[in-house]
Amino acid sequence: MDARTRILARVQRALRGRPKALLPEHPHTPLAEDPVDLLLRRLRENGAEAQRLPREEAKAFAQRLAEGLPGAAFGKTLPQDLRPPLPELPPEEAPLGVSWALFAVAETGSVALSSEDGRKAQLLPPTHLVLVEAKRVYGTLLEALQDLNELPAALGLHSGPSKSADIGQVMVKGVHGPGRLVVVVLE
Amino acid sequence: MRAKAKLYPKEAARLLREKPGVREAVTGATLHFERNRLKAYAEVPIEEWRERAKAVKDHVLTHLDHYLELAERRLRENGVQVHWAETPEDAHRVLREVVHRRGVKRAVKAKSMLTEELGVNPLLESLGVEVYETDLGEYLIQLLGEPPSHIVGPAIHLSLGEIQKLFHARFGTPLDASPEALAQVARRVLREAFLSAELGLSGANFLVAETGTLALMENEGNIRLSTSLPKVHVAFVGIEKLLPRFADLALFLPLTARAATGQRLATFVSLIQGPAREGEEGPEEVHVVLVDHGRTALLHDLEAWETLRCLRCGACLNACPVYRQTGGHPYGYVYSGPIGAVLDPGLLGLEEAYPLPYASTLCGACYEACPVKIPIPRLLLTWRHRAAEEGLTPSWEHGAMRAFRKVMESPALYRLFSKGLRGLPLPQDLLPLLRAWTEGRGPLRPSPKPFHELWKEVADGR
Ligand code: SF4
Repeated sequence: MDARTRILARVQRALRGRPKALLPEHPHTPLAEDPVDLLLRRLRENGAEAQRLPREEAKAFAQRLAEGLPGAAFGKTLPQDLRPPLPELPPEEAPLGVSWALFAVAETGSVALSSEDGRKAQLLPPTHLVLVEAKRVYGTLLEALQDLNELPAALGLHSGPSKSADIGQVMVKGVHGPGRLVVVVLE
Repeated sequence: MRAKAKLYPKEAARLLREKPGVREAVTGATLHFERNRLKAYAEVPIEEWRERAKAVKDHVLTHLDHYLELAERRLRENGVQVHWAETPEDAHRVLREVVHRRGVKRAVKAKSMLTEELGVNPLLESLGVEVYETDLGEYLIQLLGEPPSHIVGPAIHLSLGEIQKLFHARFGTPLDASPEALAQVARRVLREAFLSAELGLSGANFLVAETGTLALMENEGNIRLSTSLPKVHVAFVGIEKLLPRFADLALFLPLTARAATGQRLATFVSLIQGPAREGEEGPEEVHVVLVDHGRTALLHDLEAWETLRCLRCGACLNACPVYRQTGGHPYGYVYSGPIGAVLDPGLLGLEEAYPLPYASTLCGACYEACPVKIPIPRLLLTWRHRAAEEGLTPSWEHGAMRAFRKVMESPALYRLFSKGLRGLPLPQDLLPLLRAWTEGRGPLRPSPKPFHELWKEVADGR
């Protein structure tokens, strides 16, 4: 007998004759507030920079953010018309990563990034710019998760800059991941 | 990890005596976590959340065979290789195979209590693999050769000064380097490791049966890097970590974050379905090792199985007045604090973990904090009761407790005894418990007046 068979047999033996607990339904708690407003507020509370912009202005915004930088790393799914005219650098060297979010969640202040967009550009550069469409902003995490039909290989929820308080309880930003998160919601 | 739980009272006393700084650092950190938790709980209908989370966990545990098989099927469909481990040796076999087949020289590891349980680091080192703990706190204690002292903040017992000294000796940083500067040094070393490691290791906060999703929470980004950059990712998952539905994450991710650190969600959440797909960057191989190591036996235990609901959020540690005095090391096993005191006897056997159920004041703070309502105080009593039945408690304790009860039940006797005792010098060395206390502190001195007299004075003075 292998480990699998033995483990499952022991689980079955343990549960024999035991009362079974019921699985509760998911509650419905719709948001009272405009999801984009809440998203921006929560992101700022989480230590990120956040704003809404008309789609036409997003490119210029990214360019301003990249001023003086030698280039940036780009997410693979970032639409061409939003890509700032900057030299593309490998994520290992880029001072800025620009990503296209699959969706965002207002209640937690999070942007969701798919592995289809490429993971390195989301994690290695010290500054991370994330663009997300207003129509992809969900009120609650439950709504977002229930709406996902197809899951990518990996999904990352980013809710602020990388941080740690492991050294003497002092909050330090930019440990491992980007120390600066900038989110733009496109109208 | 070899358990040293039996030494608890001795180790606790020694730590209090020899390392007074630990108490200060641990109390500061846990109070900080605790304040944040209370604030985060107050923001949501927390009682309803806890009740629902408990129900979901109880459902999954009472249908565990079904959900394990479902999870295995989904993981396989996602291209994940699934392994089962009854023992640490089974888990080691999986790692050994990967190391040899892929020629692994270097591994990056995300913080995981289960890998401590399984002794993953010593195994890899014995295979000639360089292992880097990538969580900053975990990296610090790896440099010191210490085990973690808290489920969530493994290095909370260290002061800034100690870390400055450590980095000075190790990397030549100035003795007054700022936390930022120290973090920069660690970042540089670990960035290099992320980019060159062939193997990434992790645990999992949750495994969703419906979709075969591994869910991992963190604030630094090291877990996302450990599971994204190396070509092979191996995740160790305790069989109690299952959730039925993908949407259940909408409850469990925020609830765990609020309980652990008072955040609405961890800064980074990784939801991993499998290896990278055609044309994507990411791991080519993902392995999930489903680990028993004592969990099925605990499931069988009708009085103690609820312990398996535990999310490893650490909230009960932060709330515990006993844990706050010493941090986790004296508990002598991976899991410390109130949850350690009831989980360790379940996993190791009561004989091995005997004194731990006594490391509590039964104040109930752990139960109030617990996001899945594990009745820790009741479980402590269950284990104490069993210890007494199995004759693990010294026989004088039985007699003493019986006498104590007699005295406490009769006000007249109580007055007589409390007056009489007050006159006597306290026999500091007589009772082992007193000795453990006084070894770390000054001698115990009784109050000049009994409590009921003081109380009367206060009441009369009003
Ligand atoms: S017992 Fe409860 S409070 Fe303690 S670590 Fe587990 S889930 Fe958290």
